[in-house]
Amino acid sequence: MAKVLEGPGMGLMKKWGIQVPNYVVVTSSEELAKLGQVNDWLKHSKLVVKAHEALGSRFKLGLVKVGLDLSGAVSAVQEMIGRQVGSITVSQVIVSEMIPHKEEYYCAVKSVREGGEILIANCGGIEVESNWDRVKRLLVEVGQQPSPEALEKVVKEAGFTGPLVKRMADFAGKLFACFDNEDAQYLEVNPVVAREGDGELVALDAVTLLDADAKFRHPDWNFSFAAEFGRAYTKNELDIMAIDSKIKGSVKFIEIPGGDTAMLPAGGGASVYYSDAVVARGGKLANYAEYSGDPPDWAVEALTEKVCGLPGIKNIIVGGAIANFTDVKKTFGGIINGFRKAKADGKLKGVKIWVRRGGPREKEGLDAMRALKDEGFDIEVFDRYTPLTDIVDKALTGK
Amino acid sequence: MSILANKDTRVVIQGGQAGVNAARRMAEFCYLIKRPLNVEAFVYPPDAGKTNEIPYGSGLIAVPVYATIAEATKHHPTINTSLVYIGADRAMKAGMEALDDPHIQLVSMITEGVPEKDAKLLGAHARKLGKVFNGPSSIGIISAGACRLGVIGGAFDNLVLSKLYREGSFGVITKSGGLSNEIIWICSQFADGITTAIGIGGDAYPGTDYVTYLEMFENDPQTKAVVIVGEMGGDLEERAAEWYGAKKRRIKLIGVVSGFCQESLPKGMKFGHAGAKEGMKGEGSARSKSEALQRAGAIVPPTFGALGPAIKEVYQELLKSGQVKEIVEPTSLPKLPKTVEEAMKADEVIVTPLIRTTISDDRGDEPCYDGYPASELINKGYEIPHVIGLLWDKRLISKQEAEIIKRIIMLSADHGPCVSGAFATILAACAGIGMSQAVAAGLIMIGPRFGGAVTDAGRWFKYAVDNKMSVDEFLAYMKKNVGPVPGIGHRVKSLRNPDKRVKELVAYVKSLNINTPCLDFALQVEQVTAAKKDNLILNVDGTMAAVLVDLGFPVDSLNGFFILSRTIGLIGHWVDQKRQDSRLIRLFDYLVNYAAPKRREVPPLK
Repeated sequence: MAKVLEGPGMGLMKKWGIQVPNYVVVTSSEELAKLGQVNDWLKHSKLVVKAHEALGSRFKLGLVKVGLDLSGAVSAVQEMIGRQVGSITVSQVIVSEMIPHKEEYYCAVKSVREGGEILIANCGGIEVESNWDRVKRLLVEVGQQPSPEALEKVVKEAGFTGPLVKRMADFAGKLFACFDNEDAQYLEVNPVVAREGDGELVALDAVTLLDADAKFRHPDWNFSFAAEFGRAYTKNELDIMAIDSKIKGSVKFIEIPGGDTAMLPAGGGASVYYSDAVVARGGKLANYAEYSGDPPDWAVEALTEKVCGLPGIKNIIVGGAIANFTDVKKTFGGIINGFRKAKADGKLKGVKIWVRRGGPREKEGLDAMRALKDEGFDIEVFDRYTPLTDIVDKALTGK
Repeated sequence: MSILANKDTRVVIQGGQAGVNAARRMAEFCYLIKRPLNVEAFVYPPDAGKTNEIPYGSGLIAVPVYATIAEATKHHPTINTSLVYIGADRAMKAGMEALDDPHIQLVSMITEGVPEKDAKLLGAHARKLGKVFNGPSSIGIISAGACRLGVIGGAFDNLVLSKLYREGSFGVITKSGGLSNEIIWICSQFADGITTAIGIGGDAYPGTDYVTYLEMFENDPQTKAVVIVGEMGGDLEERAAEWYGAKKRRIKLIGVVSGFCQESLPKGMKFGHAGAKEGMKGEGSARSKSEALQRAGAIVPPTFGALGPAIKEVYQELLKSGQVKEIVEPTSLPKLPKTVEEAMKADEVIVTPLIRTTISDDRGDEPCYDGYPASELINKGYEIPHVIGLLWDKRLISKQEAEIIKRIIMLSADHGPCVSGAFATILAACAGIGMSQAVAAGLIMIGPRFGGAVTDAGRWFKYAVDNKMSVDEFLAYMKKNVGPVPGIGHRVKSLRNPDKRVKELVAYVKSLNINTPCLDFALQVEQVTAAKKDNLILNVDGTMAAVLVDLGFPVDSLNGFFILSRTIGLIGHWVDQKRQDSRLIRLFDYLVNYAAPKRREVPPLK
């Protein structure tokens, strides 16, 4: 699931016939001033200025300004560009026209097992969040399209009347077409507003989550996906992501500040059980990590170095289930090299290493790990006869 | 009994190398359970018409590759299952092709990173046809003692340790491929092992979810309990709980769910499989899932570590109630034949080597010449002549010897385009022939009349010196037994028009004040022969030969010095012609003396 920022998200909706406000994404106030000279709407409309970054609570941070004229917008852009919020620097700002309206509505499409589900409510903004029961749903099976009749029926159920019924049904139909054709996993427009004057429905804000796995069939997805992580990635995380993107198999690394138990487990499934075990035993995770799919040893070595470099750690959990085809000797070879490098760099002082693993060439791999004892490592090595997460119990409770 | 995969399962694998690797694993399992290979065919258009060789025991089975599923099932009508190992961008088409074939009832997709919509379409299509679509991202399906689909189960030793050669009483359904072997192992250690284990894949919307398989297990009398290994995200575990709680079920359900750590992580931080990241507005947490399972009457161990004891407890109850009996393990099981390398490592076989080498070893991180690492030779200032000394005569030659060899190579590197060797290479280059063949064409010319007399010259000069012959005795011996003296005589050079290369080499070697009996003898021979006929001088072959024999090089290596040196020139000629983009050449007829019979009538065939 990959999040897309408002600008490209609105672009996709526009492509599928949904009315969106005029908008521009700029990287400097000068750019906006120049755009103002050629775009009449920038001169004549009231404007909304928002930081175009993957940031929550932008309003509270002063990164949303409304009701500005062009010169006000230019200075707002100047103010926002370069603002530092945590590890994110604001580098883009989206400027859109304000749409005068009275009523706000809600429309979304979400992915469900059977296909897609259209969600409609005749209230919008914060109101819909506190009145979730007013949301009416229409399930559309995968491969099917919603009929105009079915759409009108659910729109009526949601409380729309008069000419709005057809308009809202039409809007929902277009949003579904966008969802279906763009391999979206979630599209939400909140609010949908009826523009004063012509009464046309306009999408004022867009949440767009796309299926990153489908990128191969969308050559026009020329935007990058936003971090949907609650924060920007750290340099160490980006380093490992860069390796992950170019190898067979995978390596993953996420830092969690303040933890004392470092994780270096194998497998997307087992890694979470290991993390659960640490939390259950009262430990504090210093990171999440995972390697799987028989990755090359150098990639595992790079991951190991990152894990060993985590500050304030007391234990490293080199856990893993019984592998199907990941070569234990080879991947452990990478881990061992990483440990040796870390030790040579003066790391791993007072850190205890716990190993448990099975799979192809498990004996050779585990023997190589055991031999690290002779090199002065504080390491305990267990094989398949020790249950998966018992090394966490041993590490954290001394049992 | 088992579900989904059994002794009648016959498989087509859609895919290339990854599919072949899976077939190898499947063959190991078939071998363990003493059944014929269950892979009938591959479908992979780039390799259509070929066969993939799959090791089975100590033999190899050739499995045909087809371009389409229809062709595969036409030739192998028993096929009823397809495994898809096709890349994510083509996986849906491949899966649909398999589902649409009337022979195929089960399609299991191993491919990862398949778009969600494609997975849903495949699942819906299968349900419409009353078939099963398993995956994507499935590690495979294995029924103990009956059938393995994919790499699930791991290495051969693990199959044996996990008692997969015979069926137990526990079904397994897991999203995580990496944990599938772990659960199978736990079932074999804490209970009597598994009936069938299914990897449904870690995606948000697997083609078939827990409920369908739970239903199948419920109807399989051999399966007494089912272990499901869940993850946060989505609602598959809740649906499983709902199914289990809906009415009294025959099977016992044991479930674990991962993702409790999420509760103590910073907000917005999610990790694990794609399916684990899915789930909006708080639904699908590990806690809600395990509570749902508990409410439905399933056994939910608090941690993964408690899973084994929980399974053991269920097994003990089953034993006590007589629903299962203790299994007597077979006394012997097939052992997977070792490869020759493995057997040698274990000191179990002696292999007679095919060849023997005494000069070079490539098995380390760099080649060693007669034991010396190449990089160390370089770093300590040794040069190409020293490498020649090591590889041709197995000794580290002196600086002085190296200088002589260097000069020999430089003097004989090329001799213009007209000599047979260079001409042959040029002729070949002009005919568009590649470098190695064109240079080889030139090298083929090296023989008794061109450049190839070095060895023979060295042999006979050495023979004379070793036998302390006088020049006259030598010439008489040669005349009687051999013929013209190799190394003596030149086509164009003579006493009055001496070969500068010979003068140069002789002068240099003589200036070193070293013992050169062969060279001295050769020069004496020249004095006699050249007096008889002007062009019977010591030629470059003879000079090289005498000097090299004096340096101690083996007689059989001597032609090598000319071949090596002249290769430099031949390569040059080939590159030169290539650079000029030379055209094909042929002889003009006026350069040919047509001495064949005049044109005449062909007599009638008798």
